[in-house]
Amino acid sequence: MALIQPAPKKDDDREDDSEYSPFYGIEKGAVLQEARVFNDPQLDARRCAQVITKLLYLINQGETFTKTEATEVFFAVTKLFQSKEVGLRRMVYLIIKEISPTSDEVIIVTSSLMKDMNSKTDLYRANAIRVLCGITDGSLLGQIERYLKQAVVDKNPVVSSAALVSGIHLLQSNPDIVKRWSNEVQEAVQSKASLVQFHALALLHQIRQNDRLAISKLVTSLTRGSVRSPLAQCLLIRYTSQVIKESATNTQTGDRPFYDYLEGCLRHKTEMVIFEAARAITELNGVTSRELTPAITVLQLFLSSSKPVLRFAAVRTLNKVVAMGHPLAVANCNIDMESLISDQNRSIATLAITTLLKTGNESSVDRLMKQITNFMSDIADEFKVVVVEAIRSLCLKFPQKYRTLMNFLSSILREEGGFDYKKAIVDSILILIKEIPEAKESGLVHLCEFIEDCEFTYLSTQILHLLGLEGPKTSDPSKYIRYIYNRVILENATVRASAVTALAKFGLTIDALRPRVLILLNRCLYDNDDEVRDRATLYLKTLGEDDSCKQFKESLFEELDVPLANLEASLQSYNASEVPFDLSLVSREIKPQQLAEKKAPSKKTGKDFGSKAANEALPLGTSAPDAYEKLLSSVPEFSSFGKLFKSSAPVELTEAETEYSVNAIKHVYLGHVIFQFNCTNTIAEQLLEKVSVVVDSGDAEEFDEVFSKHIESLPYNVPGQAFVAFRKPEGVCSAGKFCNTLKFRVNEVDPATGEKEDEGYEDEYQLEDLEVTAADYILKVGVSNFRNTWEALDPEFERVDEYGLGVRENLQEAVQAVVTILGMQPCEGTEVVASNARSHTSLLAGKFIGDIQVLVRLSFGIDAQKQVAMKLAVRAEDQSVSDAIHEIIASA
Amino acid sequence: MLMSVLFANSSGNVLLERFHSVPGEERLHWRSFLVKLGTDNLNGARDDELFVASHKSVYIVYTVIGDIWVFTVGKDEYDELTLVEVLHAITSSVKDICKKAPSERVFLDKYGKVCLGLDEIFSQGILEHTDKDRVRRLTRLRPLVE
Repeated sequence: MALIQPAPKKDDDREDDSEYSPFYGIEKGAVLQEARVFNDPQLDARRCAQVITKLLYLINQGETFTKTEATEVFFAVTKLFQSKEVGLRRMVYLIIKEISPTSDEVIIVTSSLMKDMNSKTDLYRANAIRVLCGITDGSLLGQIERYLKQAVVDKNPVVSSAALVSGIHLLQSNPDIVKRWSNEVQEAVQSKASLVQFHALALLHQIRQNDRLAISKLVTSLTRGSVRSPLAQCLLIRYTSQVIKESATNTQTGDRPFYDYLEGCLRHKTEMVIFEAARAITELNGVTSRELTPAITVLQLFLSSSKPVLRFAAVRTLNKVVAMGHPLAVANCNIDMESLISDQNRSIATLAITTLLKTGNESSVDRLMKQITNFMSDIADEFKVVVVEAIRSLCLKFPQKYRTLMNFLSSILREEGGFDYKKAIVDSILILIKEIPEAKESGLVHLCEFIEDCEFTYLSTQILHLLGLEGPKTSDPSKYIRYIYNRVILENATVRASAVTALAKFGLTIDALRPRVLILLNRCLYDNDDEVRDRATLYLKTLGEDDSCKQFKESLFEELDVPLANLEASLQSYNASEVPFDLSLVSREIKPQQLAEKKAPSKKTGKDFGSKAANEALPLGTSAPDAYEKLLSSVPEFSSFGKLFKSSAPVELTEAETEYSVNAIKHVYLGHVIFQFNCTNTIAEQLLEKVSVVVDSGDAEEFDEVFSKHIESLPYNVPGQAFVAFRKPEGVCSAGKFCNTLKFRVNEVDPATGEKEDEGYEDEYQLEDLEVTAADYILKVGVSNFRNTWEALDPEFERVDEYGLGVRENLQEAVQAVVTILGMQPCEGTEVVASNARSHTSLLAGKFIGDIQVLVRLSFGIDAQKQVAMKLAVRAEDQSVSDAIHEIIASA
Repeated sequence: MLMSVLFANSSGNVLLERFHSVPGEERLHWRSFLVKLGTDNLNGARDDELFVASHKSVYIVYTVIGDIWVFTVGKDEYDELTLVEVLHAITSSVKDICKKAPSERVFLDKYGKVCLGLDEIFSQGILEHTDKDRVRRLTRLRPLVE
């Protein structure tokens, strides 16, 4: 929960309240003493009821009883069944449920309750059912099942409802028993009593939720007949909408089954039903504007309702419509929503604003921002965060409006607010600076002003880091120095240290500023914090040196591109000697053991995992491609290959827990492919030398090996990389299969000292095959607006064909398979297929090697025999790419 | 699921609370959250005036009757509109039991009856009865009028 206040003190025994409360000074021990009256031979029903009320008050105040206390009270209460007083009996039913006796105690009341369950008085029956079902376990349930089934169809609606509601609860714990009641429940659905129908419908749906046909029949019959209570009608709408989602649209008429029913419900006399129907329509898959219009019209009317709940429900639904990608449909309601910005109810106002921010056009931004400014001051932080996030997306949508929006963000940044709110604003400004180049300078100035008076160390350090990176690249870098140096004077040690680093970056990048920065850094030498002094000393020393070691200086400020675990291992094995420690010799690859450990529980996630693990292994702030590029550029032979196009996720070439662990990454260039083999020796008693991977490209005709790099030495548990590079025809997506063998020289070593014990011998180890497929030549790059991009591509280069995919379990499986083969990015969430759908369209985007945009529309259909057919439409910037995509599918 | 029904006095002291499927440690947060909503909005509100709020996917509909604040919290099918039904069932029954919009004293005097009424209106988070006359009869174990 966001709004956490100190808990109100319950039952506050304030002076002025004391005379009011009949429970004043109530104390658990005393009430338990009083409960002894339950054992009196001559029961005083009135007094007993009073004691039960006190017990209920204690329970409702969050008081708990120990097991002994609960048992004692429970046993005492069971005595009260002797009383014939109805008021007391009703209290007894309630208190038994509240005490919830343990299963071995329940037996004491079972016979009394069973007696009541067969009573001629309906209400005894109803209550006994509720209590018994509430406290009993499965074994006893079997004994009373017969009575419960009868009760479901009892002519008294109270008894029937009691059994049905109990059934809903019992379905969780004893589904088998409740499922046997389905005939009776089905009968109860036809009941004339409105609430019985409501309960029966809910239970029947839960019993049959996995039987699509039954649900479809139920919906068909009820939508034709009459449903009495609005509550049941709402359930029916919900179930209908589920049936619609699972059934296909009539392709000839374009009609959606049951749409007429939903539309009819929009004219129902109860608001609850109208809203349910409107929501169901707005949530239909691929809803058309013709279908949406009546629902939106109804919702629009409710926007000006006098009842806050209806305004809230309307604006909430419209907000969802927009979120689901139909902002235009809501545009007519914009004027009504603008008036809601001043709504007293802040939930409504926030929903209205966030909806408007998504639907508004560029011309309305200024007006909207003016209204929001007045509104921001009197809403809670959690609402403000929502608004800030909406403004961020608006700014990305209309970059020309960055000035207004950036000013707004900076003005709210100056106001009071908690950490989450301030962080949301700062994050938004950071994103805008990154995405909108024009916004950079003004954004940096706003952030500078903010850190002058920022109480959050985390945000200050984050901003100082950014200033160090971006400040020197601006037109007037010197103006930032004052802001940064102020932090050195006024802040805590963490912020001071960040500020020192930021200053040093200015000094390093801009020669003109260096002398002045050195003066400032000199002053930091007397700081009372170790870290600040250390940083200042280091930077003074390096900045003071001549330009010959510029590269070294620059590297000071770069993120470490080695996994810390590897660096630690290398440092530990380094012996101080004449030879200085060489950072470039530290392995850049994550240890396969770590991979294997993480991989063990994640078998299900399959392919995605490799890339994720690889990303996790990379240093903070470095993306996988950057790190690979750096690694590959360290090998001079690869420098002529040009720009790296794509690196695959690691492919394991050995089983887990074998003596040598090897995985491979495929790096694709325009005319070359490099295999990077990450090898780890997992035997402490061995040192491997001259480790290479011999790749047989017999099954890959278009590939010619041009270079191979081995690993000189592979000690225990320190990963190393071997490389093999191939030339291939440029721009062609050559495919092939490669057989791999690991070759090396084994030396026995003493694990304690690491010294070699013998001369060693040559050995080899068979690895799994590696394949290069078409998907390796396609980059997963999404597009923000598929339709626009599709339209923008030349229809001449469109290629359409149909394919049979054979028998598949469901469409989701077929979609997944095709997406994996193509290795493209699914857009707009179209990789997810509605459960049990008969047809589906997926939109994929990618960049083909040579930076060629390619888009794919896949239309799937599945028939009753589970045969899947697919229509594949491709558009690309180059016709040969469109053809290539078809070839990939045809040959898959 | 109807997650919670909570009664508090106008000083924000909880008088009666029911939680369903809400773990003990979260109840404290809910209490504070609801009482804060009441403090912010219910002072000066008319009897039976409905207020609505949401927190993530949970809805809250609340009102004041006499000196008593009443909150209902729900999620999924118990959205704001269904909660209006639940709240109406509760407030009409409480007024019926107390004979009027209750003062705190009257509410506490009728505490037992109010508990029985709530027990008829909802059972473990599911709405069971809504009509106040029926609820009154059921709490007295009197047969329904045909």
